[in-house]
Amino acid sequence: MDLKLLLDWRLHLMVIVTSMFAEWIGIVRIPLGPGTLLLLPLLYAFIIGVLFNPHLFSVMGKVIPKPVSNAAGPIILIAILPFIAKFGSTIGPAIEQIIAAGPALILQELGNLGTMLIALPFAVLVLKMGREAIGATYSIAREPNIAIISDRYGLRSPEGIGIMGVYVVGTMFGTLYFALMAGYIASLDILDIRALAMACGVGSGSMVAACSAALAEAVPGSRDELLAFAGASNLLTYATGLYISLFIALPVTEWMYKRLKGSRQEVRHENP
Amino acid sequence: MKTHESGVDQFDAEALKELRPENQLGKTALVLAAVCVSAWFSNVVNGSPLLEALPGMLILYVMVIIGLVIGRVCPFYLPSVAWVSLISIIATLPFFPGNGWIIARLAEVDFLAVVTPVLAYAGLALTGREFSMFKQTGWKLVIVALLVFTGTFIGSAVVAHVML
Repeated sequence: MDLKLLLDWRLHLMVIVTSMFAEWIGIVRIPLGPGTLLLLPLLYAFIIGVLFNPHLFSVMGKVIPKPVSNAAGPIILIAILPFIAKFGSTIGPAIEQIIAAGPALILQELGNLGTMLIALPFAVLVLKMGREAIGATYSIAREPNIAIISDRYGLRSPEGIGIMGVYVVGTMFGTLYFALMAGYIASLDILDIRALAMACGVGSGSMVAACSAALAEAVPGSRDELLAFAGASNLLTYATGLYISLFIALPVTEWMYKRLKGSRQEVRHENP
Repeated sequence: MKTHESGVDQFDAEALKELRPENQLGKTALVLAAVCVSAWFSNVVNGSPLLEALPGMLILYVMVIIGLVIGRVCPFYLPSVAWVSLISIIATLPFFPGNGWIIARLAEVDFLAVVTPVLAYAGLALTGREFSMFKQTGWKLVIVALLVFTGTFIGSAVVAHVML
């Protein structure tokens, strides 16, 4: 890719103006039933970016020409890296808490693999999705998971479309859905409430907050304990979740996808 | 015989390989500087003024470069994100020299403000092919997303329940 396009001032100025505007709008909380719909600046930035995309509205080619828009693709890979560095810096200082948190916290990360056991077969066999299903179901599609897909396949690949779709859905409805689901499952009284608190930690910050708040509402007596468990679990998700999704979840998803696709193709061969 | 579609995919794969950040360190260093400037300005609104955030942004820049260089020279493959996060974790561990100063400078950089420009680039980078792909699979992705959230939550809760 031409360096001139990668460093095109119109692109970067557009991103700066967009980001500052999105940050200025700030976090918007919309109360909805028992939970809260939480809108973050990165969601507005994405929407504004799409609105100025010359491939969607050709008149925008006057602001950002198409070749410049194409150059933005590889830039995403690089732009996510400072965020990853910032993110790692929240883990280092808390290393003692993480070690003290114990094996239950570490092993519950493996529960994330539950993601693909339900969602992947449904996506491939019922919805007949292609490789988007890999990006969509290998993880819960938060920022570190996006970084992995971006690094391995690129965000403009089918896998990238899959994870960005789940990411956008998660950003828009994830907080609400987590709050509703956690409150409901807690009311069923099947699983230990502390286990539910740890499970809250799998999401992004706003999901964790809504999820553990919903649990605390359900069992007001143990509020502090539940928030601590959810917080520690969330820290671990960020600390170890990256490696679990990279070394276990993604290869397993690829393998299961091939299996599921393979069985479908055999059926097709039998009935031509 | 090649179809048009697979030709495009092949081009993408080659372009991606060429543009793997660690394979073109010189180019990457320049582009990284540009995206850091975007993040630096984005941080002004809810983070800190430009001058106060400057050391923190520079630390992030250096961490990324170190991670990329290690990724480049390391004999086995690990994605650059893994290297960068590892560098950042090590540099902020309690026993790492100067960790207090590093953490204090990084506190001037807002967590969410750094990721806002990334999504702005992503929105601008989508091509016509992706828009049509999303139009076709959009509603499916909503169903899949809700299944993903349910599966992850219940999976984690069951494992934690057994371990407690």
